[in-house]
Amino acid sequence: MTARVPYAGNPLDAFVERMTRDLARRVSRRSFLGNVGALLFTTGVPLLPVARGAAPTAARPEAAADPGDPQTCEYWRHCAIDGFLCACCGGSIQSCPPGTEASAITWVGTCHNPADGHDYIVSYNDCCGKSQCGRCLCNRNEGDKPLYMPFKSNDYNWCAGSKVGIAYHCSTARVVGVAK
Amino acid sequence: MKRGALCAAVFAITCSAIALQLRAGQAAVLTPPVQANYMLNCMGCHLADGSGAAGKVPSVRDSMLILSRSTAGRRYLVQVPGAALSPLSDLELAQVLSWMVRNLSARTVASDFTDFTAAEVADYRRAPLVNVRERRAQLLAVAADRAAR
Repeated sequence: MTARVPYAGNPLDAFVERMTRDLARRVSRRSFLGNVGALLFTTGVPLLPVARGAAPTAARPEAAADPGDPQTCEYWRHCAIDGFLCACCGGSIQSCPPGTEASAITWVGTCHNPADGHDYIVSYNDCCGKSQCGRCLCNRNEGDKPLYMPFKSNDYNWCAGSKVGIAYHCSTARVVGVAK
Repeated sequence: MKRGALCAAVFAITCSAIALQLRAGQAAVLTPPVQANYMLNCMGCHLADGSGAAGKVPSVRDSMLILSRSTAGRRYLVQVPGAALSPLSDLELAQVLSWMVRNLSARTVASDFTDFTAAEVADYRRAPLVNVRERRAQLLAVAADRAAR
């Protein structure tokens, strides 16, 4: 019967074992715990939801390319919207609030981003299946056409094309392309 | 302890820098004009992949390729209200129709497919199409019958 040599066949295991034993010889347990605590504290604090929630809008990293507050009607992507802003209703600029479903069919327009001068193609998908949100009504209608031009009119209830019924809750504004 | 805290701080700063760089690197890439015209005039109902909404908006993923093989089918594609009444010029509409056949069809487009032209669109577009659903079903039935022979 031969003596069993731990990790003899795996260089990676041997390397990790050597490093661990070396660390254990040099560093005390209390020092190790202190370092781990410092690492977790330094990396963890910026991820806390409180810190992100309290950050002012102007300090958002993407603010330079995407200026404005999605919870306001003046936000550039809302140039042709007619409805309640999903960002105020538990959803976001591009996602529906819980309990609602996005209507696949929608109307599409362009909005000018003042930050980079491009005209972005924006899809205004309605979120359906619950009664009206009632918050942040926005009715800017830039580029809106009468009902007899359905593909350019935002007065339709696009929830007619959803699978959860025609109850309209709010509207998203999703960037799907760059026109010019 | 001090060295550990310093390492942790360097690690956190590096992660933040990468995150900021990723966000800043998102430069605007222009959508090709023909595709942009599809997005602005057709995609709202036919969706990005042309699949539409069952029972409400017909899918173009199979039908456009079939219809574009016959003169009657090509006339239908130009005269269907969403196309004929769009604000696109004859040339732009011809380009969008050709783009749709080539990019939204579920099957491979044959090498002998003929692109729509502005003259062809101008020729068909002015005559109104009234019975849209019936005409579509009739043309697809004729095409299926021809394929079965």
